[in-house]
Amino acid sequence: MIQVDQLTKTYDDLSRGRFVAVDHVSFSVGKGEIFGLLGPNGAGKTTVLRILSTVLAPTSGRATVAGYDVVSDPAAIRRNIGFVSNNTAIYDRMTAWELVSYFGRLHGMHRKQLHTRLEFLFDQLRMNEFRNVPGGKMSTGMKQKVSIARAMVHDPPVLIFDEATLGLDVLVARNLLGVIRALRESGKCLIFSTHIMSEVQRLCDRIAIMHQGRILDIGTLAELRQRHDEDEFEELFFGLLSQFENGRDGDWNEKLEFDSQPPREGDVPS
Amino acid sequence: MSDQLESKHPQPEPSDKPRFSAIVLIYVREMRDQLRDRRTLFTIALLPIMLYPLVGTVLLQIAQFTRQHTTSVCIVGAENIHGVPPLLEGEAFADKYADGSSNLRLVIRATDDLKKNDTLATATIRWIREGTYDAVVVFPPNLRTDASDSDEKIPSVKVFYNLASDESQVALTRISKVLSDWRVDWVSESLQASGIDLAIMEPFELNDIDLAPESTREAAFWSKILPFIMLIWAMTGAFYPAIDLVAGEKERGTLETLLCSPALRSEIVWGKLGAVASFSMLTALLNAGSMLVTSSFVFQQIGVAGVTVGPPPLVPMLWLFVALIPLSCLFSALALAVAAMARSSKEGQYYLMPLMMVTLPLVLLPMLPGMNLSTGTSLIPVTGMFLLVRSLVEGQYTQALLHLPMVIGVTMGCLWLAVTWAKRQFENEAVLFGGQEQWELGLWVKHLWRDRQPVATTSQAYACGAIILVALFFGRLAATSVPIDLAGLAKMVISPQIGLILAPALLMSVMLTTSVRTSLRVRWPNLLSLPMAVVLGVTLHPLYLALGKWIEYTYPVSDEALKAMLPFVEQLATLPWVSVIFLMAFVPAVCEELAFRGFIFGGLIRQGGRLRAVVVTALIFGISHGFLQQSIAASCMGVLLGFIALRTGSVLPCMLLHFTNNALSVSVGRLADSGLPGIEMFITKTQAGPAYQPLWFLLSIGLAITCVLYFASLRSPVDESNMADVEPTPGSKEPASQTATV
Repeated sequence: MIQVDQLTKTYDDLSRGRFVAVDHVSFSVGKGEIFGLLGPNGAGKTTVLRILSTVLAPTSGRATVAGYDVVSDPAAIRRNIGFVSNNTAIYDRMTAWELVSYFGRLHGMHRKQLHTRLEFLFDQLRMNEFRNVPGGKMSTGMKQKVSIARAMVHDPPVLIFDEATLGLDVLVARNLLGVIRALRESGKCLIFSTHIMSEVQRLCDRIAIMHQGRILDIGTLAELRQRHDEDEFEELFFGLLSQFENGRDGDWNEKLEFDSQPPREGDVPS
Repeated sequence: MSDQLESKHPQPEPSDKPRFSAIVLIYVREMRDQLRDRRTLFTIALLPIMLYPLVGTVLLQIAQFTRQHTTSVCIVGAENIHGVPPLLEGEAFADKYADGSSNLRLVIRATDDLKKNDTLATATIRWIREGTYDAVVVFPPNLRTDASDSDEKIPSVKVFYNLASDESQVALTRISKVLSDWRVDWVSESLQASGIDLAIMEPFELNDIDLAPESTREAAFWSKILPFIMLIWAMTGAFYPAIDLVAGEKERGTLETLLCSPALRSEIVWGKLGAVASFSMLTALLNAGSMLVTSSFVFQQIGVAGVTVGPPPLVPMLWLFVALIPLSCLFSALALAVAAMARSSKEGQYYLMPLMMVTLPLVLLPMLPGMNLSTGTSLIPVTGMFLLVRSLVEGQYTQALLHLPMVIGVTMGCLWLAVTWAKRQFENEAVLFGGQEQWELGLWVKHLWRDRQPVATTSQAYACGAIILVALFFGRLAATSVPIDLAGLAKMVISPQIGLILAPALLMSVMLTTSVRTSLRVRWPNLLSLPMAVVLGVTLHPLYLALGKWIEYTYPVSDEALKAMLPFVEQLATLPWVSVIFLMAFVPAVCEELAFRGFIFGGLIRQGGRLRAVVVTALIFGISHGFLQQSIAASCMGVLLGFIALRTGSVLPCMLLHFTNNALSVSVGRLADSGLPGIEMFITKTQAGPAYQPLWFLLSIGLAITCVLYFASLRSPVDESNMADVEPTPGSKEPASQTATV
């Protein structure tokens, strides 16, 4: 459903000059799969997801979503994805019902079909209590639910969640993860970015660890553990990060070896 | 892993044309959103309804306040006034001269009524400066009734006042009136005393009779005030919604939500534009309506002397409403495009102020006395439409219909440019997602040096244009004298060309880019394009000359300017031909082209800015010529030069065209006089100077069009508009693929 090949995005930046936000990233995600992008802040996760949702254009490389190219077919992609991000806020002066129905109609849904879909979503996400509450008066959790309903209104095959649990209380975050899991069951393709390790561990079928615009390693949790010979996921993550940073100072090409040959235990500073 | 991938082939794309239903959907949402906002409602609805009655109240009170201020005037030397006619009666002016209002206080002092060690002069200065009196009138000792001793100097009555004080100026006006009335009476009495008939004082009576029909007279007032009020409010009414709908949405994060929805960028722009334009029109109409109601009420109540103001005639008001639609759309599109650059509402207000400053003169221009609808004024955006409406309101339908196509053409052209700009802004991710970063001078200088690219950036191009224009402005102020010899002419031409036009571009190119040649666009074009540029220059020149004549006819050059130019023109005719060609054709062609079609064009064309590069360089090129008439011709030429620069990807053909055109302009006269065999087939001498033969004129236009078509068929060898913003990054050659083989 999602195929990313050598995707690169650079920005001009006053202090850093030409800044590579995403550096030759490649991965793919299939149907019924939850793919996690894990990385510290500034790793380039949001940029990758913004490119996949066609809000940003890649500098080089290729990405296709649901069979469409992000550069040549952005409109088709937008019809086939639901994008929930920290940056995709909801309108203050629109009620939950109005907002979700507005985006449904932008997707060209017919009134009757839209009404049925809205009733279904509002039931499923337990949003009926604040159907007529304007966005400005909602709690963070309510807003997040509206955002998810907004992204799901046209029942897209691909859903992209960018740091969707950020700022949510434990209960709401837990609910959200439940929703995401349910979406996987219905065969959707999900891509999910976070910097919280436990979410990735509990939720994702496959994980890509990103740092400074690059993917350091990619695989299922079991594969990663096996490859790096480290059971504790947190240790594994920090090990990869510090190994990468040490490598950046020296010759990165040599350190790349770990890609094919898993490093020995002693190589990972703890 | 690859078997998990969907290898769906791209399906035929549903049309990417904006859907009307989506535009309406977005429009309705934006309108509802704005109408639910208390601040917007206040600015567009409540404010106008309250504003005019409140302003009216305040004005009335201020008027009362000023009327109550008592003017105090000190009269010194009243004892010098003897005999007839009496000016003073006790401590006041004689009834005959008093202007009826009671608030004039006279203080009469004798000339010697001063403190010790005080002279009249110092006392007067002190009184006036300290505001003891608003004015001091001093009658001299030699003021006499019998002016028969004519050998004596004419006595002078002095009125001292303070220009910086409004009260003092009012006092001066009132005193002057009294004194001049008194003087007339004095003269009359003297004449009568000498037995002369007073009738010679007034050989005829002056009566002015207004023949304007009642309706026009009333319309005259409204036709000036109403369009002005409406345009100002149409502008203001567009600004706030534009800021809120773009910058505000960016700030609140809702813009990204909309951008990742299936709404196309064009649908978003049209929807938002519709909403902003609606608010612009609504604000204008509500303000005009409120002002009409308030003022007609006020006029009825107090009745301003001499002005009969009835309700404005209805039909012309409809014209005003029709004209408001495109202008509101124009302001809205501009406001939308500018607001898109801002990251927050606060920033948006900073950006819209300069926009207001640029547009305001176009609204104020028609208010100048003597501004009427003509071919010249109809070509000025906004102003033309304003004047057209005024003609319609005044009922001059023939005049209005004559210029209607021109005004509509100009307005639609501007509207198209503004909407295109707004759409571009919404497709530009740097505009939509520009990061918020700390700006620091040191960092910025470092960035300028470190991140140099082979071609100037867009902002560097704009900066270069601005520097050149500012430098030329001050350069012109400094150069006042008209040159009288070759050396003077050389200095006058070369120093601004090299020092003020070429130097900034060259310096910026050396310091801010990695390749002087690339940044100045000095590269070999298609070789045939070089001779073709010369041919185009030759065949286009008749049309260019005709354009110049038409411009001079439409926007006549003032006589003083012509007179000032005369020695210069005469000189060109007498100086050696080679030097004139070098100074007037070669130097400008090289310097101006390197700067405008080189450095600036190269920076502006980046990131898909083809239209921007052509239009903006033509405008800067035009403005750089200083004189309005030359600027217009140069701007037109600039568009063509820009087109050739675009198609050939090089500055060289532009230089050749520019050179040929200038060279012919300074040599047409000489060619006509040259007596070259066959020259009379092309050029004739007329009273107004050399002109092209009509047959050659027609033929040359055909040839010129062919040349332009040839250039249109070319494709630039380098795709500058797509010029990579990114050089190969250091890591690009590494095998960075880390897609683990799962």
